[in-house]
Amino acid sequence: MGILDLKKVSFSYNREEFIKDLSISVNGGEFIGLLGANGSGKSTLLKLSAGILMPQMGEINLWNKPLHHYKGKDRAKLISYLPQMLDINAPFRVMELVSMGLYPYDIPPQLSPEDAIEMVGLTEKKDSSITELSGGERRRVFIAMTLLQGAGILLLDEPLANLDIKYQIELIRLLRNLRDSKNISVITALHDINMAFQFDMVYIIKEGRLIASGEPHKVITGELLKDAFDIDVTFSDVIHPLNPLNKINYVFLKENIKENS
Amino acid sequence: MPLYFVKSPKIILLIVLSLIILFLSVLIGPKFINPFNLDDTGRQIIFSIRLPRVLVSILMGSALGASGAVLQGLLRNPLADPYILGISSGATLMAVIGLLFGKIIFGLFSIPLLAFIGAIFTGIAVGVMGYKKGGLLPERLLLAGIGMGFLFSSILMLVMSVSADEGLKRAMLWMFGDLSMADWLLIPYGFAFIFAGFLLSIWRVKGLNALILGDEIAHSLGFSPVKERLILFISVGLMTASSVSLGGIVGFIGLLIPHIVRYFVGSDCRFLLPLSALAGGTLLCMADTIGRTIISPTEIPAGIITAIIGAPYFLYLLRKKEILGV
Repeated sequence: MGILDLKKVSFSYNREEFIKDLSISVNGGEFIGLLGANGSGKSTLLKLSAGILMPQMGEINLWNKPLHHYKGKDRAKLISYLPQMLDINAPFRVMELVSMGLYPYDIPPQLSPEDAIEMVGLTEKKDSSITELSGGERRRVFIAMTLLQGAGILLLDEPLANLDIKYQIELIRLLRNLRDSKNISVITALHDINMAFQFDMVYIIKEGRLIASGEPHKVITGELLKDAFDIDVTFSDVIHPLNPLNKINYVFLKENIKENS
Repeated sequence: MPLYFVKSPKIILLIVLSLIILFLSVLIGPKFINPFNLDDTGRQIIFSIRLPRVLVSILMGSALGASGAVLQGLLRNPLADPYILGISSGATLMAVIGLLFGKIIFGLFSIPLLAFIGAIFTGIAVGVMGYKKGGLLPERLLLAGIGMGFLFSSILMLVMSVSADEGLKRAMLWMFGDLSMADWLLIPYGFAFIFAGFLLSIWRVKGLNALILGDEIAHSLGFSPVKERLILFISVGLMTASSVSLGGIVGFIGLLIPHIVRYFVGSDCRFLLPLSALAGGTLLCMADTIGRTIISPTEIPAGIITAIIGAPYFLYLLRKKEILGV
């Protein structure tokens, strides 16, 4: 039994079933990528796990207790969620926004807002308005807020969207470091198949059902991607230039869109 | 938090400036009163006329400033002001009906009471229409408020166009903020409702900050967006209804004071809210002092002065400094 358990969960918006009989179990320190086509139910699954949506069927347990039995503040100390869109037009300062991570607490925990800001590498910008920051920096501000919140489970909806490759790598490195140092479980919805290889574990979702789970190198195959995304791909196994024992997988589209158009 | 106040010179400056303006407002008027040489007439003027009026202007302005700050966060819309919810148009309709056809039923309390009833009724109606499964939805609230506003404004125009001239000027003045009805008897009621609304919003101020980040993040931080929004809506309803019923419609403060204060102290509502109340009260008090002094015995409605002083300053900030985060 994991720290977050979804058992036979079903959920529908306006009678249309979005999540169907889905069961997953998340353990401490797991670094999970959630893959699936648009509309496959990745975001819905994260919102259910965060308690923002309530399932019509099945149960969701957090530390062996039904998620909806938790008081808001108690739940916030255990699990936190960041949506894909972080569009706010209020010019909060970095420090002010990060400090909101302390809201669930009456007695502040050991980590200070300054520490959290330092962990995401934004110390120099702690007095800047978040409206002045780049997309990647803004994302890191919110990550710092959730760090201060101190939850052991981090649910992130497409945190890499709209980030250029440098920030994507930085963010994944940051999340992995946090997992290593604080044993936080991270569940991240992804759209980039190649980025999924940076995770320890992937869950692949199609039409609200879990169709595969496991280590990315073992799970992500041509047939699976054909099934999940309806695309034909080929894989390259490149030997890592610095570490010959390590192979890098890379997924390529078979179709050349340029030529066929 | 107290440390923040001590640390920040801007906040201290704002508080000191406000206190000076409030003090001077009691002394300045058609007749200047020297506080060091107070005779019976001067004392009479201060305690019977000026002080209640200054207090009413502070109450009204504070309520509008704080409501504006709450609403802009609550609706996640920098263009929101307390009147956008239509509460003021309901109040205006009832007050103007009272002023035009008023056989004074409850004496001094007639107009404020009618306005308050109109405001509360409209607030509840807008709340009911803005409610859907999932709570009070910002977009629905806005649209419901605008719809109600149009409805009541058109009925108001109809009432005014068919009524006799008598009372029309009074009604017009009221619609631009008429503080001349200020009276000691009204102050305890105004204070009670406005203070209750203000306390509600301060009680939920962390929830308000979280709502500005979006419902999902607010939820993740442990708040129930449905509950927070309902409590904050009630607080705004109480403050706006009381403000309008004390002295009519005063524009500018609810919309622009929070933006000006945000420029000085940032977006954290724990500071924004009380300081918007302070700045709103101070501005209205100053505007009313100017309005009743410069061409006395004729009075210029305070709402006109607030806009004349405030709007250019706001436009300057908009042009020269970074406000609204844009």
